[in-house]
This record gives sequence, C-alpha cells and structure tokens, in this order.
Amino acid sequence: MSTFIKIAWRNIARSPARSFITVSAIAIGLSSLIFLKGFVNGADQQMAENYTDLLIGHIQIHKIGFQKSMSIEKSMGGFGTILDTLRKNPKVTAFSERVKDFALISSPESSAGILLLGVDPVSELKVSTIHKRIRKGEFLKKEDHDKILIGAQLSDNLKAGLGDKVVIMSQASDGSVAAAAYEVTGIIDAGAEEIDKGLAMITLKAAQDLLVLDGKISEIVVKSGSLNEVDATTMFLKEKINQTKFEVLNWKEISPQVYQWLQFDAVFTSLILFIVLLVVATGILNTILMAVLERTREFGIMLALGTKPGQVVLTVAAESFFLGMIGTFIGALLGTCLVIFFGTKGIDLTVISSALNSLYYDSIIYPRLDFINIGIYSLIVLAVSIIISIIPALKASRLSPIEAIRHI
Amino acid sequence: MSSIINIQHLSKTYTEKGSDIRSTALDDITLAIESGDFVAIAGPSGSGKTTLLNIIGALDTPTSGEVVVDGTVLSSLNRARLAEFRLRKIGFVFQAYNLVSTLTAMENTEYVALLQGISNKRRRHEAYQVLKDLGLENFINRRPSELSGGQQQRVAIARAILAQPKLVLADEPTANLDSKTGSDLIDLMKTMGQTLGITFIFATHDKMVMDKAKTLIQLHDGKITG
Repeated sequence: MSTFIKIAWRNIARSPARSFITVSAIAIGLSSLIFLKGFVNGADQQMAENYTDLLIGHIQIHKIGFQKSMSIEKSMGGFGTILDTLRKNPKVTAFSERVKDFALISSPESSAGILLLGVDPVSELKVSTIHKRIRKGEFLKKEDHDKILIGAQLSDNLKAGLGDKVVIMSQASDGSVAAAAYEVTGIIDAGAEEIDKGLAMITLKAAQDLLVLDGKISEIVVKSGSLNEVDATTMFLKEKINQTKFEVLNWKEISPQVYQWLQFDAVFTSLILFIVLLVVATGILNTILMAVLERTREFGIMLALGTKPGQVVLTVAAESFFLGMIGTFIGALLGTCLVIFFGTKGIDLTVISSALNSLYYDSIIYPRLDFINIGIYSLIVLAVSIIISIIPALKASRLSPIEAIRHI
Repeated sequence: MSSIINIQHLSKTYTEKGSDIRSTALDDITLAIESGDFVAIAGPSGSGKTTLLNIIGALDTPTSGEVVVDGTVLSSLNRARLAEFRLRKIGFVFQAYNLVSTLTAMENTEYVALLQGISNKRRRHEAYQVLKDLGLENFINRRPSELSGGQQQRVAIARAILAQPKLVLADEPTANLDSKTGSDLIDLMKTMGQTLGITFIFATHDKMVMDKAKTLIQLHDGKITG
C-alpha cells in the first residue's frame, strides 16, 4: 500500500470521533436520500396505477381524431383485426370495448351533463377497478341493458337512488334524438370528483342501441402487464395498427396533466434530494477542513521534507474517499433496509386520506426499492465526498512549510 | 576542504501583516561552512538562528543577499525546485521531533527515502540498519506516541540521514531532551557525520552542544558576533 494511502487510512482511526461524525453524516444523508426516493417512487407508482386501473386503462385505441373531439361521429367499426392483434400480443393482459359520449341525465328532480360510458360488464372487470368502487347496489351484469350506474355526487344532485329511474338524452349517430330510461342499480364512489359527479355507466349494447351505433364502439381499452411495459406495448401496437385510421394512445398521452404532475413531483423530489446532498457535502467539507486544520503542522513537516503538493492532495483525498466509502456502504445498507421495512409494512397516512385519495394516492404508502437509484445516489455521494475534499486538500498542499511547522 | 555553504551579505526582514512595522532577523551575514563540518549556531532567542537555518534549508527566502548550498544558488529555484532540492540535499531534525504520527518508526525513517524513489527492498533494509545503529531495532513497529522523546528524536535523525543528504539541519534538537539523552544524541550525530561525510548544522543555545561543535557561530540581533 502506498505510504500516502496508508497515512490516509490510519488517520481515520486517529480521530475516531471526527471520523464517526463524518461517516454518520454521509450514511444518514444517503439513507435519507434512498428512503425519500423510495417513498416518492412508491407513492407515485401507486398513484399512476390507481389512476390507470380505476377507469382509463394503460392504452386506448380510437378512431383517429376521437380523443380530440370525443364525438359519436368518430365511432369505429371494422376493428376485428385490432382485436386479433391484441389477442396475439403476450404483453396485453386484457382489453375491453367501450362506447363513450357526452349526454344529459335527468331525474324528476334535476338534470346534469355527464360522460356516458357503455361497457361490456364481463371484460370491463379485467381492465378497470371501477366495479370495486360501487358504494351501494351492484355492478352491471351482462343482461342489465335497462340498468345504469351513477356517481355518488351525481346521485345526490339528481336525488336519484337505487331503484329510481333516470333518463339519458343525447344525439344518436344518425342525427336523431337518443333518449331512454334506466333504473339506477349502483352508486359509484370513486373518490375522484370527475367520476363521482359526472359519470354514468350502462352496458355496451344499451349504449350502442341508444346511440344507433350499429355495432360500432368509441374505444378499446387495453391493459398491459405493468406500467413499466406500457411504453413498449404502445410502440408495438402503433407499429401493428393502421395509424391513418386509428389512434393508439397510452395513459400519458390521454392524461398529460397527470403525467406532468408526476414529472413535476419527480423534479421537486430531485430538488429536495439536491438540498440533502448539499447538506451532506457541507458536513463532509466541514469535517475534512477540521481534519486538515488539525494536521497543519504534520502537512508542513511533510512539505518541508520534500513531499510534493500532489502527494498531500492524494493523502487528504484518499482519507475522504475512505470515509466516503464507509459512509456510503452503511448509508446504502440502512436506506435499503428502511425501504424494505416500510415497503412491507407501509406508511399509514389515513389522517390525510381524503386529500390523498382525491389525487389517486393511497392512504397507505409502500416505498419501493429501486437498485438503479440506490447505485446512482451512492456514486453521487461518494463522488461528492471526494470532490469536496479537493478544497481542503489544495489548502493543505499550498501551506507554507515554515508557517505550518510553527502552527500549534 | 571545499565550502558546502557560501553566504554573501544575507539579510532577512519581516514585515508584520497589516502594518508597516519591520523587524530585522538577519543583518548582512557573510559566511562559509566547510563540507563535513559539525557546526553550532548559537545565540539567544530572537537572534536569528532558526531564520538562518530555514534559509540554508530552502524553507525560507532572503530579503537580500545570496545563498549557495552545494553549488546551487537557492534564489534561482522556484517553489517546486526548492522542494526537490530539500528532498535531495537536506535532512531536517526539528526541535519537536515532528514525525508523522500515523506511521511507525520504520515507516517514518523510510519516508524521505520513499519520496526519493529508492526501491522498497533497499529502503527497508537500510532503514532497519540505521535504526539498529541507533539502538531502535526493537521499536521499529511503534508509532511516535509509543516512543520516548529521545527515541523519537533518534527516529528523526534516522529519517534525516537515511536519504544520504549533503547537509543535516537540526533546530534545537536537544531542547526537549534530558541532558544525558541530548549529549548521547549529539555524540551519535557527530559520529555519523564523520562516518558518512555529512555536514551537520545545529541551531542551539545549549552549552553542551556548543562545546561539542567543531565550529561555533555566535549570532546576536541578526549579526555574527563570533
């Protein structure tokens, strides 16, 4: 081992309290970074899953232009080959056809504008979790063509409960007035205002009959294996499906505001992480500066004897590297253990559940382990601990031997 | 015998930081020291002994005058070359021993030889030999904090002479030692100087060291008085 490396290594044991403080600062800083990132990852991942699982799915296929206009005129037929493509793709775990239209819903007491959704009661169970949010009554069955599900707030506004009749009015695809009465068979309580206040759901066949669609649909909702596979599945479907006739959109394209929120969240988290990193760097700088000050006389002797400034820099940087290595190892281990522990047990935030649920977050957050992030943060912290030591190292290397030797 | 050190009209003046107050440490010193000599520079505190030693050792620069050590004009060297000069030509023994606290006696002895690039095997062999000659063969793996003052100073001497310098500068080497240990140490250095042909220069106000010196230079208020 080089003598300078030896000096650096032994200096760590020379002042155990100082070394302990430095290692602790690095370890606590890094484990905080890893835990914070794991928490945010877990929360955001749960939020994205909740959002896509509830209703919109991972990918939607429409006739081209539908997403922009949401018009019944943009309904699509001739989608048999698309269904074949979806069946053949192993990454597609489920899909379901829907009719979607804006309509007016009326009860004897009131009326409101809504988004009317026609769903296949069987296949819909595999692409969304809306059936789990029925507060009263039950989800649609295959033959429930005269039944309707409405949101909880909509139910309150219409003063229409289970067993009551409501009328849906819209414009059919042939230009005629579409109107029909349905019996309320379930109340949806999704915790999201746009659903609870503005959604009504009937069977796919009932919607096609009401809007005179002649077997046409508005969209095919696709569920991929996981959120991580959505981009690859979208790309695959875009290659296979005729883009001049149909549009294949994933959830990020359908709800850019939600995706942007998650991105903003990531940026905000990065900012917090940067601040934590600055605190860690300041701690390291402080302790290494103290260490250099403590050994001013020794560096003076080394320089007087003919040690090159670069060798002094190496000694100080090596000491910082060793402290960084120990702190990083402990920090990464501690951070990983924290994420695993709380990832299993969960962090209960039910005291703010209503706020969390309205943003699609769960009340219990499960931090998620991401080894790539742990690796990146560990390298950053280690690099910072070395780079930051350059300042005191240069200071030590530029000492005047005489003044340094006189230093007490 | 040829001169290893030639000093002409050397003066050194310090100016206090933040003021115009100037103090003269050395005043027009002219001096020649023969190679292999055993020299004591004596004088009271503040007489300029340490300043003269620092300038000869290329640790400090004169305000005026010329210093030539082993044929090298020190004023012609920049900071890096001064460091290289110290490494190759000068051995230092300081008052407070000044060993590297984290290195063992053996490693401290090897330190300068290591900087000089002497091979590991040769360095270790010679370091052991020097420490043995100085009676420290049983203490080679001890760190400075585990050695007595006399032992530490002997390690410092071993470090200074292992690199085979032309000149060893010792600033008050006996100041922190009892009289017997100090006397033994001076005898040891004298013997080594004679054996290895190294010139020793001491800054001291210890009468015992002055008595043992071959040449005595008296300084007072920065001037040579005898």
